[in-house]
Amino acid sequence: MPKGRNLRRRKRWTAWLGIVPVLVFCFAIEIVPIMMMVRGSVIDSKGNFTLANYASLGIPLYVNSFINSIKLSSLSALIGTALGTLIGYVIYRWPLNRVREALITLSDVTTNFAGAPLAFAFIIILGSTGIVTQFFLQYLNIKIYPEFSVYSLWGLVLAYVYFQLPLMVLLIIPAFTGLRKEWFESAQNLGASSFQFWRRIGLPVLTPSLVSGLVLLFANAFGAYATAYTLTGSSLTLATIQIGFTVTGEVRHDPGIGLAMALISLLIMGSCIASYQWATRAARRWSSR
Amino acid sequence: MAYLELTDVSKSFANVAAVKNFSLAIEKGKLVSFLGPSGCGKTTTLRMIAGFEQPDSGTITLGGQDITVVPPNQRGIGMVFQAYALFPNMSVAENIAFGLKMKHTPKPEIEKQVDSVLELIRLSDTAKRFPHQLSGGQQQRIALARALAVQPQVLLLDEPLSALDAEVRLALRGEIRRIQSDLGITTIYVTHDQEEALSISDLVVVMNKGDIEQVGSPIDIYRKPQTRFVATFIGTANQFTGEMSGEHTVLCGQYQLNTRPPADRIASGSAVLVLVRPEAIQVEMEADPRPSVNAIPGMVETVTFHGAVTRLGVNVYGQRVVADVTETNTGVINLNQKVWLTFPPEVCQVMVQNE
Amino acid sequence: MASRLNTKHKAPFSYLVILAFFLGYMLLPILATYLFSVATRWDRTILPEGYTLEWYQTAFASSYFTITLRNSLIVSMASVLVSLLIVVPTVYWVRTRLPEAKPLLELLMILPFGIPSVVLALALVQIYNMPPIARSPYLLVSATVIFSMPFMYRAVSNAIEAIDANTLTEAAQSLGAGLGPILTRVIIPNIFPGILSGSLLVFATVFAEFTLAKLITGAGFKTFPLLLVEYTRKNGSVAAALSVISFTIAWVASMLILLVGRSGKSGRQEHAPTH
Ligand SMILES: Nc1ncnc2c1ncn2[C@@H]1O[C@H](COP(=O)(O)OP(=O)(O)O)[C@@H](O)[C@H]1O
Ligand SMILES: [Mg+2]
Repeated sequence: MPKGRNLRRRKRWTAWLGIVPVLVFCFAIEIVPIMMMVRGSVIDSKGNFTLANYASLGIPLYVNSFINSIKLSSLSALIGTALGTLIGYVIYRWPLNRVREALITLSDVTTNFAGAPLAFAFIIILGSTGIVTQFFLQYLNIKIYPEFSVYSLWGLVLAYVYFQLPLMVLLIIPAFTGLRKEWFESAQNLGASSFQFWRRIGLPVLTPSLVSGLVLLFANAFGAYATAYTLTGSSLTLATIQIGFTVTGEVRHDPGIGLAMALISLLIMGSCIASYQWATRAARRWSSR
Repeated sequence: MAYLELTDVSKSFANVAAVKNFSLAIEKGKLVSFLGPSGCGKTTTLRMIAGFEQPDSGTITLGGQDITVVPPNQRGIGMVFQAYALFPNMSVAENIAFGLKMKHTPKPEIEKQVDSVLELIRLSDTAKRFPHQLSGGQQQRIALARALAVQPQVLLLDEPLSALDAEVRLALRGEIRRIQSDLGITTIYVTHDQEEALSISDLVVVMNKGDIEQVGSPIDIYRKPQTRFVATFIGTANQFTGEMSGEHTVLCGQYQLNTRPPADRIASGSAVLVLVRPEAIQVEMEADPRPSVNAIPGMVETVTFHGAVTRLGVNVYGQRVVADVTETNTGVINLNQKVWLTFPPEVCQVMVQNE
Repeated sequence: MASRLNTKHKAPFSYLVILAFFLGYMLLPILATYLFSVATRWDRTILPEGYTLEWYQTAFASSYFTITLRNSLIVSMASVLVSLLIVVPTVYWVRTRLPEAKPLLELLMILPFGIPSVVLALALVQIYNMPPIARSPYLLVSATVIFSMPFMYRAVSNAIEAIDANTLTEAAQSLGAGLGPILTRVIIPNIFPGILSGSLLVFATVFAEFTLAKLITGAGFKTFPLLLVEYTRKNGSVAAALSVISFTIAWVASMLILLVGRSGKSGRQEHAPTH
């Protein structure tokens, strides 16, 4: 009898060997470096524990870069969620299958269109000599510059919404699809109006999806670097841009400050992803068929 | 000496004991069925024989060799799965050739063997098709051919027909039996369908909650169930409770039943159960004059037409007893009619009531 | 989409307006870039003043063009290869032998989404600062694999969920196959569409990757997006031409993914009895 037991235990144990490669890789390239970074941010040159790095973040440059990052992420996430839900609903309700599929494909492609090419495209259309700027000037006689600038916070918001919007569309369409026709029909059958259906059933069911969309979009914007780097250079300071400077050495920061900023960004983004996971799970609870 | 032998094999998952001290000896060339309700451990036992699960304890031997720890791909045991499990990326011929390729069989021989098993299952014209182009019944026959192509020592089938519709199921079950006896291959057939098990097997193993309830020929299993579970799981059985009043007589309150002599003597006064199949009961208008034949009076309460037979529900001293009668004597039976249920001692299976 | 709420046959006008806005927002930047890349001059007028292919010639003639394109191809293909090697066997293993490790695997594949790429770049540059690895293409590929592996994982794990991997494995085992033949002859051919679309996704993502390349290797191993950003500050028209080239690569990958996805589905769809 003991023979069989040992054998079974050995088999389980060896099975875990199968995921060693992926574990080693993730630890070596992701988890350990990040943990070292966390450690580095609270240790001074003599190896003693210190919060000095975090204390030095109080100067306006760093405070502003976080404020800007949060403003940009919140604005682009809010606008993306609102418009994305509206557009997602229109796509979901669109009568022709082919049109719906084409629009979903378009969203799929455009949400991955970020970074330098996107930033540059916005310079082409909204720069001081961009085509939309020209259009406003020549046909509507409106000077959008210098009040607006594509290199400003709002310019970045417009560019970010470009990839946030289709992402929200992709996230929300399955949630609409999850609203079952039978719910609407039984609500009507019980005397509810369309508005009452949305208020009492539709929106509550969609809420977790909206929340998960919002936090995902926020994280998506917060971690972005390439678009902002291309578009603003150093005119608008963001947390990721400042951290980037630490790495490239373009601007000399105290290395500990870079680590502290990185850690705060990590915490902000990590909690977004954790809430995203939590909210998606809540959203899935409704859709169990 | 038995060909395939399981000795005290046990297996549990987390905290569920799926199979408990399972011991069974199977002779070469026989078709053995594992029959039992869903969840009773049939699949688990089969998978331990195939090597997909490791027993927690016990041994499995094949042809005298201990195979308990041999990996599944070196056991030479063929398996047919409920969901066919044909490789969707391979044609029928490639599926069948797969096992031979794994054995590095020379190409011409593979072709010959593929042709011959395709012929065996009478599907030679499907060789170039892909699984998704075949019906469920055809797919299952291909799966059978694929398992047979490597000439395994033992063939295991896990509810191979349960995904198919009734007509195909019936035809295919005959086909499986024919091929099995033609090839003389030792086969274990798992099913929860009693009719399937009884019609196809040399030996039936009735299982319940991880235990073997009874092992026997289909006829024995049906006629001489040894446990209450077997009697009620297979077919329908009337149960009379009483106490042993002689070597083969049982006193059941107001009446006494003469039974077949029990296999092991049962002490007088023991609480026992007498099982009688509905079709073994004759429904008569008068008591049988012969004293050895059991005759108990009752009142017809329900009459249900079942096609070949009509099933009567008869109230016997407050207990509902069912009896199946054939067309010839249905005409004269009406509701609320007083009748005599008569049946010979040979159809009365007595067992100690231990629950 | 059988259960869509009460379907109408004609879209209301408000829907058309919303859709037009969406299409405009999504298409205008792309169209503008295409047009800009072939415009002689386009800073005083609504439409370009003339058309030319000069910017493409300039782009192609740049010595950095081939180098950066080659570097980007190297990084993308290496990332595809590494994530294939890591993800495919792991997903198969966890699916068939170690289902209890699935939550752990899922967690590992979510983690990168919670890490800003600048943060990972910083962490890697700090730890791996010894010569052959420091700021090397190897370090870059490792980092791009971390961020692109989840896409590969999604594609492969969806594909493996769609086939009955456990039963197919057992069927192959009962026919005498060991792990090697099971993977190469049974599992991989059946999840190939998933592997292919995962690879294309990883390729496209890594090809367009700017942050890690800029921060880890920088000028030492310049990739295509780095060249593009450089040109946005030097010569906008050439930058537009480079943008178009990078879109085109992304489009091709996306279209291939769609195509693969469709053929993968149709292969398994018809399960109807044929007689
Ligand atoms: N892989 C498994 N993990 C946990 N429990 C299992 C597993 N396989 C079977 N069981 C349990 O073991 C018992 C026997 O299952 P099984 O052998 O599949 O029964 P059968 O084939 O007779 O329907 C059931 O209670 C089932 O839930
Ligand atoms: Mg079973």
